[in-house]
Formats: sequence, structure tokens, C-alpha cells
Amino acid sequence: MTANTLATRLSRSPLSTWLISLTTTFTIGVIGMIIVLVRGLQVTGLSDRVPWGLWITLDLSAIALGAGAFTFSAAVYLFRIKPLAVLARPAVFIGFLGYSSAMLALAMDIGRPDRFWHPLVYWNVHSVLWEITWCVILYSTVLLLEVLAVAGDSRLGKRWPRLHQIGHFAHRLTPILAVIGMGLSLLHQSSLGATYGVLSGRAIWFKPSLPVMFIISAIAGGMSLTMLASMIVGLLRRQQFLPDTICKNVTRTIGFITLGYLYIKIWDWAATSYYSNSPATADILSRLHATTPYTTTFWGVEILLGGLAPAVILLIPNLCKRKPLVMFALAMVVIGVVVNRWNITLSGLVAPPDWSPGVLGNIVAVSYFPSLVEICVAIGIVSYALLGFTLGVRYLEIYPHKSKAR
Amino acid sequence: MEDKKNTPKPGDEGEAQTTSKENPLLTRRDVLKIGGATLATAALTQLVISGPFSSDAVQGIGRDTHNNGHGDEISKYQWNMVIDLSRCIGCGYCVKACQAVNDVPDDEMRWNIVFPERTEVGVDFYMNRPCQHCQEAPCTRVCPVGATWVRADGIVAMDYDRCIGCRYCQVACPYDVRRFNWRPSENENLNVPQWGSPEVERRPRGVVEKCTFSVQRIDRGLSQSLTPGVDRAATPACVNACPVGARIFGNIFDAESPVTKYLKEHETFRLREEWGTQPKVHYVRPTNGRS
Repeated sequence: MTANTLATRLSRSPLSTWLISLTTTFTIGVIGMIIVLVRGLQVTGLSDRVPWGLWITLDLSAIALGAGAFTFSAAVYLFRIKPLAVLARPAVFIGFLGYSSAMLALAMDIGRPDRFWHPLVYWNVHSVLWEITWCVILYSTVLLLEVLAVAGDSRLGKRWPRLHQIGHFAHRLTPILAVIGMGLSLLHQSSLGATYGVLSGRAIWFKPSLPVMFIISAIAGGMSLTMLASMIVGLLRRQQFLPDTICKNVTRTIGFITLGYLYIKIWDWAATSYYSNSPATADILSRLHATTPYTTTFWGVEILLGGLAPAVILLIPNLCKRKPLVMFALAMVVIGVVVNRWNITLSGLVAPPDWSPGVLGNIVAVSYFPSLVEICVAIGIVSYALLGFTLGVRYLEIYPHKSKAR
Repeated sequence: MEDKKNTPKPGDEGEAQTTSKENPLLTRRDVLKIGGATLATAALTQLVISGPFSSDAVQGIGRDTHNNGHGDEISKYQWNMVIDLSRCIGCGYCVKACQAVNDVPDDEMRWNIVFPERTEVGVDFYMNRPCQHCQEAPCTRVCPVGATWVRADGIVAMDYDRCIGCRYCQVACPYDVRRFNWRPSENENLNVPQWGSPEVERRPRGVVEKCTFSVQRIDRGLSQSLTPGVDRAATPACVNACPVGARIFGNIFDAESPVTKYLKEHETFRLREEWGTQPKVHYVRPTNGRS
């Protein structure tokens, strides 16, 4: 690969335009991160009343959307659903990118990044966040091993025999890793919901349904993202990785999971907000309705666009034949999960509990909007994931090569 | 699993197979060794951190009574506060004294706040709110590193050296008492020396802090055989500063303490009892009699 050909390639392919723009946004993100590390969290839009915001949403979303890794690994290596084997690699790779993005976001979000190791040494087993930290670190290690197995097989493995050897060893561990990965994922994907669900002082969060809804939406979102990414790569390469029947089976499964999620979600709403008519929840919902777009985003995006629409598209035989429509449905599931994580995080904070015995209500007026630096860092982290995926597809043989196209 | 190991998978390359047979990267014994070493390291870490190098031993801030927020351990003391809203005149002296003694220069970070309020029947009063020092504190259970806990004497304490600044405790606290150091605290403390002088170190950027019931005064006072709530040197700064005696402090295990007597003589309530947090700050209802 001489400089000349590289330059020629850079000048015309749409891929290079894509890579250059991602590198630019990633660089902006890195600058944002440096600003955060130097100046601290005062550069964010966060406050003592809303101490969690955009980055936590990004963190929760990235982990949820990385759930395709454990789902497809379990399907392929444990339940031996052979036809899905081609999806295991992309799922694991997307999972790895998701978890590393989440850890990047977390490293930005904690006040003392220099003490990131404290949860490993100072244990508080009563804290769900402690359990999550352990699970995420262990599971990221699992994902790293699985990615190494893939990397060892690729042309990088051919160039560096040592990588090939490590990759080969990791490959032999894959079935064990799939079991461990599933256990860890089932734990922390649910506990992320419990992070909010266990807080007895915040009525809108305090419910046992949150961990259940988190794990189900993570599986739906994670599978959707893996499928969507695979379909996009397939389109760009003019190549089909999955036979149509298998593809339909997977998307139908996603449709059923989404439907199940929707069912639990509707009943969760009915039980906590409608039939029980608990004064604390009703008060929070009315405040959210008055000052935020929560009602619209909950019903419009989470329920309608992110739940009902994809379930209908993916389950009705006439509709699920149309690829563009299916891709739209998968994208909507993904967006639904992200909006859900944002809504959950902010609903409990922007409408805080009213503890004052008075009625003036001054203590409950709270608002939040992410600062420019916060947005830049978030864009940078998303760019990292997209950049990683693009390069991975190109150099790691995430998908089987049939031609040199792309 | 067994047959999987012996039969080469169709996707595997022959070269890789030979490599692994001639020179196996890891045997089962190796895996066990690594696993054992990891466990041993974890155990050793636990030993070291609970030993003489622990931040508890270094700080001497009552970590020996660490009980992860369950409050199971018994102490001779149980520090409680009464705030008489019918007496409070809203002068804010308690706020300033707290800021001076606990060195909180930034007004936005006040541990103890006072603000005008109105009751349902239209009586104006001044609400004030230090940390509620919940016995069932939502904030202490959630801390992923155990940097905050309910001491045996009921005070909700913080270890600033252990805090990683994740702010989960702020999210968990329903009373909004916790403050995060968003920026380095470098301003001059304008409440010093008029309202008192700092008795504790300032907290670094990136950690959470909160009202401590001026724990340094209580601990030092007890070691000098003083009675917190009675002797001024052992009593929280806010209680001392109040010109109308609206704040009463003491040990509720002591029948003679001012707080026990006040609780006996007055009808009190606690903020949001239905949350089950069991706060140690009690309030006397505001009355119309305030001038």
C-alpha cells in the first residue's frame, strides 16, 4: 500500500468521506474530554439537583444496545442455533464497542476518574452500582477475549502470529465465555434498571418492574442494532449474510420481544400511574407534563414509535417482507431504547420529591440541558463506536468476505 | 464441550490446529493456576485494605463502626436534632455558622438551607433543612465504594478520600442534602471569622459532601467529657448560632438531654415519614404566633 494509492483512494471513495467526518467528530469529542479532565464537571450542564444527565443516558444506552452480544453468543454457542453463527461476530464486536463506549462515558462522568479502581478494592455489596461495576468490568473482559478471537482470525492475525495464537486460544474458550457472558449480562442489564428501581424516595422510579423492563428492552435493542448494522453492511457490500428465512425469523423474534416489552410497559404504566393513582407519582407526572416533553416522548417515541410500530412491522407477514420497512422498524426499537433511558434518568431528577411541609413549591423547580462540552463528548464517544465498527468491518473480517467491494 | 475440543471446527485453519497441538497456549492446569492467583490477589487486597493501610485507620473517623447503613450496631449515643419552625425567624445565622465552621465558601453548596415557606392554611414560616441523618439512609446503601455510612451513633458520615464522585448518593437522597464539588473550592470564605473559623479541611474537586452535624465537635467534645447539645464546644455550629433557640440537639438515649426533653414536651414530625427513611431531625410545626 503505497502513499500514492492511499491518496488516490482517500480522494474518491465515499468510505473515506465517512471516515474523515467521523475522525473530525471524534477529535472534537477528544478535545471535549480533555476540557472535562482539566476543568472538571463544572463544564457540564449538571447540577446538584440533576447530577446525572446526557452521559448516563449514553452509558445506559450503549450497554443496552451491546446486549446483542450475549444474546447472539448464547443463541449460537449455547443453544447451538447454527444458522445464526454469522451474526455472533458482529454482535460481539458491537457489544465490545458499546461497553467500551460506556466505560469511556463513565470515566468522564465520575468526579474522580483517578479513583476508577475504588469499586474493585473498596466493596459495598449492598450497592447495585457496585455489582454493576464488577459485572461491566468482567463482561468487558469477556468481550475483549471474544474480539481477540475474531482479530486473531483476521488478516491482522496473519500479520502478527502472536495475535493469532492468542486469538486461537480465546476462540477455544468461546462456549465458556458465552455462559459467563450470559450470566454477567443478565445480572447487570437488569441491575441497571434496579439502579433507579431501588430508590425508595423517588416515587416515579421506585418499582420492581424497572429491572425487568431494562433487560427486555436491552435484548430487543441489542438484537435490533446487530441486525440493523448487518443489513446496512450487507447493502453497502451488495452481499447477503443471512438467508431471507433466517433474517425473517430473527426480526420476528425481535417483534415478539418488543411486543412483550410493550405489554409489561403498558401494565407498568397502568398499575403505577393510572389505576393506583398514587399521589406522589401523579404529582411528578403532572410536573413533568407541565415543564418537559416527557408525555410526548413517552407515548409518542417510547410506546408508539419504539414499541408498537416496530412490533406491527416485524410481525405482520406482508410488512416484514419489505427490507426498508424492517430496517426502519429496527432503527425505531434502537431509538426507543435510547429515549427510554433518557426519560427514566431525567424523570426522577427533573421532578424531584417535594419534602417541604410548605406549599410554595420552590424546591421542586428544576431543569437540565446538556452543555456544549457535554454534547461534544457524547458525539465523540458515538463517533468512536461508529469509527470502530467501520474499521472493524473492514479489517477484522467481522462479516465473511465474498468480494472486495466496499 | 469435550467433543468440541477434539474435533477441529470447519472454520478453523489447519495451521492454527498444529500450533496449538505442538505448543498448547494454556492447559487446564494453567487456567486453574491463573484463577487461583486471581482469587488470592483479591483476598490479599481485602486484607490489606482492612488493615493498617486502610483509609479508616488513617482518618480515624469512626470507620470501626462501619455497618453499611443498616445501623445494627449499638452505641451509647443517638444524636438527634429538633428544629422548632414556630420559633425560627429566618435570620440565617445557622447557615452562616455552618458555612464558617465546616468551611463551605460557596453559597450554592450550603449544607444547611433556610427559605421562606407557607403552610396549607396560609401561615408563613421559614423552612430549614440540614441533612436528615436518616437511620435507613437511601444514600449510604447505594454507594459503590462504601464512602458513606450510618455511624453507630446515627450520624451519616462521608469519607472524602474514598468517594469516586459518581453522585449516586445525590440521586438517591430524596431530601437534596448532598452537594457535589463541581469546581475546586478556592474562594475566600466570607463567613470567616465573623461566624466562626474552619474546623475541617476543604473538600477537593470531584467528591460529594454533606452536613455532618459538626461531627468533629461531637467527637472531640466526647473525648473531653463534654456533653454535645449542652456544652457549646461540643454542639453543632448551627445550634449554637441560633439566636432564638429554634434548634435543639442532643443524645436521645439520655433522658436528661435537651433534645429528649424537647421531644417529650412538643409534638413533632419528620419529613416524609412515609418513605421509611427514619430521619433524626424532628420538626415542630409552625404556628400563627410568629411576629
